[in-house]
Amino acid sequence: MTASATVYRERLRRTTAPHLLCERARVTPDSVAFRSKHFGIYRERRWRDYAALVAHAARAMQSLGIGRGERVAIMGDVCEEWMICDLAAQSLGAIVYGIYPTASAAEVEYQMRDGGACVFIAEDQEYVDRLLPIAERLPDLRTILVLDDSAMFGYEHPKLKRFGELLGATETPDLGWLEAQAALVTADDPAFIVYTSGTTGHPKGALVSHGKHLAATDTVVSHYPTLRDKPHRTVVFLPMCHVLGRDVAITLPLISQLVPHFGEDPEDFAVTLFEVAPTVLFMVPRYLQKFASHVLVGILNSSRIKRAAHDFAMRFARPYANRRWNGGSNIVQNTIYRLVQAGVFKPILNKLGFDRLELVVSGGASLPAETMALWHVYGVNVVEMYGQTEEAGGIIAGQRGPFPRPGNVGTAVDGIDVRLAEDGEVLVRSPDLFDGYWRNEEATREIKSADGWLRTGDVGEWRDGALRLIDRARDFMVTAGGKTISPSFIENALRASPYVAEAVVFGHGRKYLTAIIEIDFDTVADWARANDVAYTGFTSLTAHPRISQLIEIEIDKANASLARVEQIKSFRILPKALDPEEEGEPVTPTRKVKRKLMYERFKVLVDGMYDDREERLIAAGAGGVLAQ
Amino acid sequence: MFRPVPRASGYFRTDYAQDMALLQTRAERIGLAALVGVLVTLPFIATPFLLDLACQVFLASIGALSLMLLTGYAGQISLGHAGLIAAGAFTTGILTREINAPFWLTLPASALTGIVLGLVFGLPSLRLRGLYLAVSTLALHFIVIYLGGEYETKRGFSTGILIEKPSLGGFKLTDGRAWYFVLLIFAAATLLICINLLRSRSGRAWRAIHTRETVAEALGISISGYKLLAFVISSSMTSVAGCLFAYYRGFVSIEAFDLFLSIQYVAMIIIGGMGSLLGALLGATFVTIFPYAIEALLKLLPNVQKLAGDIFAVNYASFGVVMILFLVLEPLGLVGIWRRIQNYFLLWPFKYKPLASMRK
Repeated sequence: MTASATVYRERLRRTTAPHLLCERARVTPDSVAFRSKHFGIYRERRWRDYAALVAHAARAMQSLGIGRGERVAIMGDVCEEWMICDLAAQSLGAIVYGIYPTASAAEVEYQMRDGGACVFIAEDQEYVDRLLPIAERLPDLRTILVLDDSAMFGYEHPKLKRFGELLGATETPDLGWLEAQAALVTADDPAFIVYTSGTTGHPKGALVSHGKHLAATDTVVSHYPTLRDKPHRTVVFLPMCHVLGRDVAITLPLISQLVPHFGEDPEDFAVTLFEVAPTVLFMVPRYLQKFASHVLVGILNSSRIKRAAHDFAMRFARPYANRRWNGGSNIVQNTIYRLVQAGVFKPILNKLGFDRLELVVSGGASLPAETMALWHVYGVNVVEMYGQTEEAGGIIAGQRGPFPRPGNVGTAVDGIDVRLAEDGEVLVRSPDLFDGYWRNEEATREIKSADGWLRTGDVGEWRDGALRLIDRARDFMVTAGGKTISPSFIENALRASPYVAEAVVFGHGRKYLTAIIEIDFDTVADWARANDVAYTGFTSLTAHPRISQLIEIEIDKANASLARVEQIKSFRILPKALDPEEEGEPVTPTRKVKRKLMYERFKVLVDGMYDDREERLIAAGAGGVLAQ
Repeated sequence: MFRPVPRASGYFRTDYAQDMALLQTRAERIGLAALVGVLVTLPFIATPFLLDLACQVFLASIGALSLMLLTGYAGQISLGHAGLIAAGAFTTGILTREINAPFWLTLPASALTGIVLGLVFGLPSLRLRGLYLAVSTLALHFIVIYLGGEYETKRGFSTGILIEKPSLGGFKLTDGRAWYFVLLIFAAATLLICINLLRSRSGRAWRAIHTRETVAEALGISISGYKLLAFVISSSMTSVAGCLFAYYRGFVSIEAFDLFLSIQYVAMIIIGGMGSLLGALLGATFVTIFPYAIEALLKLLPNVQKLAGDIFAVNYASFGVVMILFLVLEPLGLVGIWRRIQNYFLLWPFKYKPLASMRK
């Protein structure tokens, strides 16, 4: 790290996001802070407007009597009002946390109790409805604030307030007022809580303080300097309750030249991408897979000439991508690649809004190598990064690129120490980590040792200077044959198929491995239509023997790349789509699978794949001896 | 003709002015510039015959566009189109003959005639639909032709009314090239008016009425008001075309406005493609050039002299055949063919729009 970068990060460590906002409003008042789509128009907000909106919201929220260190919960989809309320609450010294819009009633109640929020901000009527039934059971809750009250007819509740009315009743303060408020908040004060979508047990709230968050997020900028060097457009779609979503929407724009764009509705994500044509994207692997599978299925269903053109282009581009990973391609190969890219790949990317992308950073979960390779073949610079909520918005490692060979998560970022424990677990140490789990000292002690090293729970290894993640430490399974197997590695191989949305591998203590497959409804339905398979809906599609054959072929493809003990011997297709919004569903809001719950839920399916004749025979032979 | 959504990625609108701009993408701007370039250079390289053909296409385009507005968008069928052109032409003829009126007077007078006729003959549309409406508009045709004929015979112009070439700002329009540009400007202005009408409140109301009157009324659209508006606007534009036609030909006579002309205009919008302004332009071009093309083809045959008398008959017959073929094989008209070709390349290398079924 250069001296000036160190100084800069030290400066960030001693400041707060509201303070940075005021600074931007003074220094670059007229440059665009973000754009947000309303009724078809991407409304431009300049830094001056942004700060004024935050100031107004802060003044209004002050009238609710929010005290320093009190918690404010926000629930809803990504929208500009979220950012404004978030920063407004932060500038009053409150601690903000988000609740996933897909959270079930029990999860909302848990997080409201655990966080003890005094104000609940609901994006619209939908989230008011989620809270009202449990509002009486929350002693700390004083106000429910609804941002968009367009569907709020006949709602009567003593705690309910409408944001618009509240703003109307408050005079607009000037920037100086906001600066004075922000000055009262110190860098060491806690800023927000991010609930980790733990795959085991209740979510834990990671408490992060102002300065550490800014300094930690600076690792992303220093690792990808293009963010600071030139203006970039990005699309915000990750939920802001996620630390990466918060980075992209709020923090990175404050410390780099990234301009976030908000779509009309998160459902319109594909449209927003197309219209904005972002230059930088922060993605989760699921979307990269989903887009890739839609492209592949679209090509499969295309006319013969067009498909032939695509196949022809792929034949040149695949070896080219390989050579590019190895760093050796000559001018002739470059020219041919440029030609096929312009003729075939650019039109594909243009339809997705991917054609101007200079950098796609994938994080949050491991990205299947095949998916990354496909995007590289198409000419999209996808890199993988590795970070966790506990790094306070920063990352541990990331591939620098451009076009790095898939299969690792790159080199450690500046300002963070990474070492591997004896059992291979990745340990990190940095001045800018999270403060601890909210009201959970025990869990904090469990992962944060006294000497400052934080246990990530992931197992990794160094290969050619880059960190390669092997698996979640506690997620190994041992088969009856005694082989230790990493299920997520196999699941990734299975998910590489465009027809597979989710795959869960079972086999702990069993003779062989099996998998439960959730089909990707869109692509499989496309395939069904193209192949004259009649279906009426999701369940009828999953029950069709031709679909079973299709998935079997896909699994055989994955098996070909796996060791013998890792191969999937049998599978079942889930008769319904996994829905994180549903109570007790075995997926987290970020669509991580809770394996244990999955087994409990679909026990019949899993057990049905194992032949237990022997066991039954023995049990029958014993004839109830044990009972006597 | 115009689309609300750009075809290439990366065009987002930050205010409503951008959203309303007719040209959104760079490709469109380049395309329009190229088209203007071709249209401007054409008269300097074309023969007088081609120039005349182009002028006829422009005239027909104005008529076809206004009929498309009425029939293709508002869904009100009309067979009185030739009558309206005649009304405009006769207004011009009578005014120049009787009071020696200049161009700047005859043009608005023709438009006014169109407005009055549109209003009167739009009234049946409030009660009648489909075939019945078509028959009632036919009455318009016969009344105008009857009145025109009466004027011709009573005033002693039984062979037709001669009209002097107009002068615009001291410049007499006798040159074919000058006419080319005048008609081009009028046709372009008509197109622009139609585009703007269709993408604003009135155009949306017309389309709603076309789709389902009851629902449109339930949405708060004044059915009678917007139906009459469609008739009035369409008729006045048609009459303006009649006025220009009279000046361009320099001669007005009822023989030029027979029922076949009405049929030709209906053919233009059917062959071009219902519900598309581009279709109106393509149809006008096709129907105008078609007889010349048939004639040229016949001349390629041996023993042309013997066939000379049959050219008319062959023309009519082949026109009928083409109409039937379009109705049966390509109901979307020329614009349907054009869109298919365009989509083939726009969707490249996909066959269907990708991500159409994408949900979050």
